Amino acid sequence: MTAVDNAGDPPATLPTPTSLRTVLRRFRHHPLGLVGFGLLLLIVAFCYLGPVFWKTNQTDVNLLDAALPPGPGHPLGTDTNGFDVLGRLMAGGQVSLQIGLLAALFATTIGTLYGAVAGLAGGVVDGFMMRLVDVLLSVPFLFFVLILSARFHANAWTLALVIGAFSWLISARLVRGEVLTLRVREYVLAAKVMGASRRRIILTHLIPNAMGVIIVNITFQVADAVLVVAALGFLGFGLTYPTTDWGSQLASGVTYISADYWWLIYPVGGCIILTVLALNLLADALRDAVGRKAD
Amino acid sequence: MAWYVLRRLAVSVLVLLGISAVVFFLLHVVSDSPGRVVLGQRASPEAVADFNQRHGFDRPVVVQYVSYLGQLLQGDLGRSYKLNESVGTLLQQNAGRSAMLSLAGLVLALLVAIPLGVLQAVRRNSVVDRVATGLAYVLYATPAFLLGLVLIAVFSQQLDLFPAEASQSHSPWVVFTDPRSMALPVITIAATSIAIFSQYQRSSALDQLGQDYIRVARAKGLPERLVVTRHLLRNACLPVITLVGTMIPALLAGNLIVESLFNYSGLGLLFLNSLQREDYPVLLAYTLIGGVLTVVGNFVADIAVALADRRIELAS
Amino acid sequence: MVSIAPAPATERVLTVSDLSVEIRRGDRVVRPVSGVDLVLHRGETLGIVGETGSGKSMTGLAIMGMLPAGGRITGGSITFGDTELVGLPPARYRGLRGNDIAMVFQDSLTSLNPTRRIGDQVAEPVRLHEGLSRREARRRAEEMLALVGIPRPSERMDDHPHQLSGGMRQRVMIAMALVCQPKVVIADEPTTALDVTIQAEILDLLDDLRARLGMAMILVTHDMGVISRHADRVGVMYAGRLAETGPTPALFERTRHRYTQALLASIPSLTHDRGEELYSIGGAPPDLSVHDVGCGFAPRCAAATDRCRAEQPPLVADGAEPAHAFACWHPADGPVERTPARLAERPAAVDETSAAPRLRVVDLRREYPAGSDGWFGGRRTVKAVSGVSFDVAPGETFGLVGESGCGKSTLGRMLVALDRPTSGEVVFDGVAVSALRGRELGERRARLQMMFQDSSAALDPRMRIGAILREPLAIQGIGTRAERTARARDLLDDVGLPGSVLERFPHELSGGQRQRVGLARALALDPSVLVADEPVSALDVSIRSQVLNLMRRIQRERGLSSIVISHDLAVVRYLSDRVGVMYLGKLVESGAAEEVYAAPAHPYTAGLLAAVPGEEGPAEADRVPRIHGELPSPIDPPSGCRFRTRCPLATDLCAEVEPVLEPVSPTHQVACHFPLQTKEGAR
Repeated sequence: MTAVDNAGDPPATLPTPTSLRTVLRRFRHHPLGLVGFGLLLLIVAFCYLGPVFWKTNQTDVNLLDAALPPGPGHPLGTDTNGFDVLGRLMAGGQVSLQIGLLAALFATTIGTLYGAVAGLAGGVVDGFMMRLVDVLLSVPFLFFVLILSARFHANAWTLALVIGAFSWLISARLVRGEVLTLRVREYVLAAKVMGASRRRIILTHLIPNAMGVIIVNITFQVADAVLVVAALGFLGFGLTYPTTDWGSQLASGVTYISADYWWLIYPVGGCIILTVLALNLLADALRDAVGRKAD
Repeated sequence: MAWYVLRRLAVSVLVLLGISAVVFFLLHVVSDSPGRVVLGQRASPEAVADFNQRHGFDRPVVVQYVSYLGQLLQGDLGRSYKLNESVGTLLQQNAGRSAMLSLAGLVLALLVAIPLGVLQAVRRNSVVDRVATGLAYVLYATPAFLLGLVLIAVFSQQLDLFPAEASQSHSPWVVFTDPRSMALPVITIAATSIAIFSQYQRSSALDQLGQDYIRVARAKGLPERLVVTRHLLRNACLPVITLVGTMIPALLAGNLIVESLFNYSGLGLLFLNSLQREDYPVLLAYTLIGGVLTVVGNFVADIAVALADRRIELAS
Repeated sequence: MVSIAPAPATERVLTVSDLSVEIRRGDRVVRPVSGVDLVLHRGETLGIVGETGSGKSMTGLAIMGMLPAGGRITGGSITFGDTELVGLPPARYRGLRGNDIAMVFQDSLTSLNPTRRIGDQVAEPVRLHEGLSRREARRRAEEMLALVGIPRPSERMDDHPHQLSGGMRQRVMIAMALVCQPKVVIADEPTTALDVTIQAEILDLLDDLRARLGMAMILVTHDMGVISRHADRVGVMYAGRLAETGPTPALFERTRHRYTQALLASIPSLTHDRGEELYSIGGAPPDLSVHDVGCGFAPRCAAATDRCRAEQPPLVADGAEPAHAFACWHPADGPVERTPARLAERPAAVDETSAAPRLRVVDLRREYPAGSDGWFGGRRTVKAVSGVSFDVAPGETFGLVGESGCGKSTLGRMLVALDRPTSGEVVFDGVAVSALRGRELGERRARLQMMFQDSSAALDPRMRIGAILREPLAIQGIGTRAERTARARDLLDDVGLPGSVLERFPHELSGGQRQRVGLARALALDPSVLVADEPVSALDVSIRSQVLNLMRRIQRERGLSSIVISHDLAVVRYLSDRVGVMYLGKLVESGAAEEVYAAPAHPYTAGLLAAVPGEEGPAEADRVPRIHGELPSPIDPPSGCRFRTRCPLATDLCAEVEPVLEPVSPTHQVACHFPLQTKEGAR
């Protein structure tokens, strides 16, 4: 989200060093990025290692213990089905993170291939491919996801696929832009003059240099996917019992807002906010470290 | 300039055609037998086939698309078989209220985000900048409905400043006639946009601050305030204007959530209800309208930017 | 045209004494200016010259009170008239800025606000400082635009900056700076981004306005030629300090500081004896974040002693001329006493006349569509190269010279098959490479290499130098990995870099080192033709001569045929046996380098040579008026002779009949109806 401040740099600026080592070094000097990274590690550990230490029953409804406020045995209380909220957060977190990561990987893979092909082909092919992206970007995508998930029962996989299928467009644009600038870089021309084949140029120059932008993009997309899953859950089209994710948990908590079951809302809300925040901080720091712009 | 507008217009029309095709075909995949949906699961296959034949749903999908396009051109958005009402009428009843909600949110977002972003850029790395950036991050990470809930909990239930429900009046002008009941919905819909716009504006203003003409303006002896208002502001706002065009789908999605959260009857609620009723003609029409709005928004934004910055015309 | 210095005016307008500046960026503190003393008198031009990072621009910005973020004045004073500027309250400083002290910046695309009309931008300082009404300010702006030579200013007032050419934009910049009639104007590299013919016009304009408006001017530049032609007095800066200062003629004739002396000697000139190597300064300028003891130039100075390394030399006046001062423990006396290294004679094996040309360019043309969007685009095309032919013999260096937009780079790209000609062909060792494709081209290319202008863009930032140098060998499948590494080491040695560089990344090297790596890579495949596009344009003078000498040596040792493309006439002359002058896609003159430079036959060539600052130019050039005006659009080039719109000798014939290249001597051709040299005239 932030731009590098370069007002008033001395005239002799070095070219952007983008070796892995320098990226790591710069990253280390980015306190917010480190906060994001640390936070993310904590969240992942909470979701995946947490259940090892905090064993709860997340399969059998127990209406006797329903909607208990936080207290001994249930540090965050229980939900209306009698599930322990802390344990449920861990289970839901796993699903949310998985969906987010899967959707982002899916979107980035398609987007990268599509964008690279368009950028490398150029001319009419490029024009047509990018107009298609324009068209799809103008289709309100949440509506489609809603229609689809209303018709077909969503599970974690299909949800990730559907979200990914609609969010590859931004990656495609980004990668195409990157390819277009990279392919006229003088070092690519130099390789051409040396007689390098197209394949070699793509493998040794284009992909490694575009990688930074792609990784940054994955991180942003995970964050966005977590938010979309939450929104779907709220609108009533999230995952169905017994699977759960943070979005659905929050959505069901919201139903009881007037009943003052605050522990059904704020802990899970906080989890979502922290996760998205951590991912965005990390992505921004990575983007600065890679030294390129990617939105 | 006229040439640029014309070319841009032609592209927009092509994109519109593309959107209508994509939406139509995707919905066809989701629901290939409207008869089954309308008549219900218990209807006999014959009745379903008869319904589909009567309404032309047994024709090849391309033919259906072309005839749908023909209807569209005559202003006919189709018919909701579930409500036995023309889709156009349904949309019309709700469009005004939704438009006002989105527009109010958008205007609020721009009014807050543009000055904020510029201020952050001018005072970069100051306390103000850091706090605003931090807030923007948190705001961006907060799902809109959660924010709405928190607002309701704090301002409605705790402080009792605003009602938890939006006004139920059917007038689109409630934003003005009943601002108190609309405050929370509008803030909720604006919040995410404020986060995005302000950070974007900050980064754009920083880019511009690094440009030579800013230095030239300072060398003329202009005080910083005039450097910002006379030179920086206009150039730094251009990218944000473009962003508004691309944000329209997100604004519409925001409508879905806010209308449902505050029980504000508009297109968003209509969409959600139609979704539960599996009322596909309504879904199709609204999705299409969303696409049209996006295209129009992008077109207007591009023209506005080109008017403000004549270089665009040449570059394209 | 050397400006005549006014009678030594004694009225001091601006005095800078013992000025020091530091810039803090994070943990790093840089001292770009340390203890600089300057005096500016009414009506004079003081030139400040130095290389990148010498502190010359920072001095100018300090006077304007416009140091970049993190920068502050740590000591000394700047007095303007009776006013002390250091520590002046911001509001009062603003009252001076643009009003009494103004600045002209280097032209860049963004030096004018892209979204405001130029009339308003020029009027802005008047409205601000003199409180004139909008209408009156606009009237003043219009007068000013007329004064800086904008044709039909009333019509241009409402233009936006992108509608103007680079030269016109710079005129607007000057109008903006001078509209309040300041007492001091600081021009920071005012012509660096401009073509040589435009540069001459702008500098003359500045001289003229300075005299007419009675201002004093500080001319900040890296170009010694500009200084010699336009400055009354000079200050030479090195590593943040003033190395030498004095009246221009004295400083050039009786150079005292070792740095100035070396710098002057390392600039290639238009009359340089090509048999001699250029003088070159080894090493690179010091890092200013490290606190220096002793003379900053000592590590690179041949005359340096222990004293130089231990003690900072003070600025002392020259005995003979008190106005001439220098900071050197072991001052020189006048220019370098040359015992120049003679270049080895060309290997005798290459017999130029009998051998078939190594590279033949036959009626090469390249047109590409104007504008990128093909949806409604018309048939307009940019005629980048329009029928160019020449031969390059084995071992010969052919120089292509011309201003920006003349098509020389497009031509260069076609030579190495990076771009395909619209028609015509490039024949390399008897094979038309421009028609080859795929694998065949890939193999043929190995012998036809290119050296790029910007070495930081030409080296993949993610690869170590070792991998970069091995890449050409790997592509062509030559040798094992170990053999390739050995070869890379040899190549580095050839270009004068240590083997340890193999493990470095490009950004860890200096510009000069990177350019050497670029050359080494081009040589890796042992090419027989090397195309060098602006090989030294991105380098500072002292580094430039190192690279030029290296290129010269390698050309000779390897019997390489090369094509050197540059806008810099002196660079082309130093490297080339024969030259071709390009104008708007056409070759207007070509021939033996000595002959073309000594006796140009085309009015364009003559004008170009006359415009180079700091050179007297050939005697014949005196009867050729300066080239005026701007380059016409290559989309719609003029009929007949393309130069006619700017040619002082043009007649109706030139508009109707296109001149073709015709010999004026066996080794010199020109395409002009009225050549400055006739067959009889040329010996």
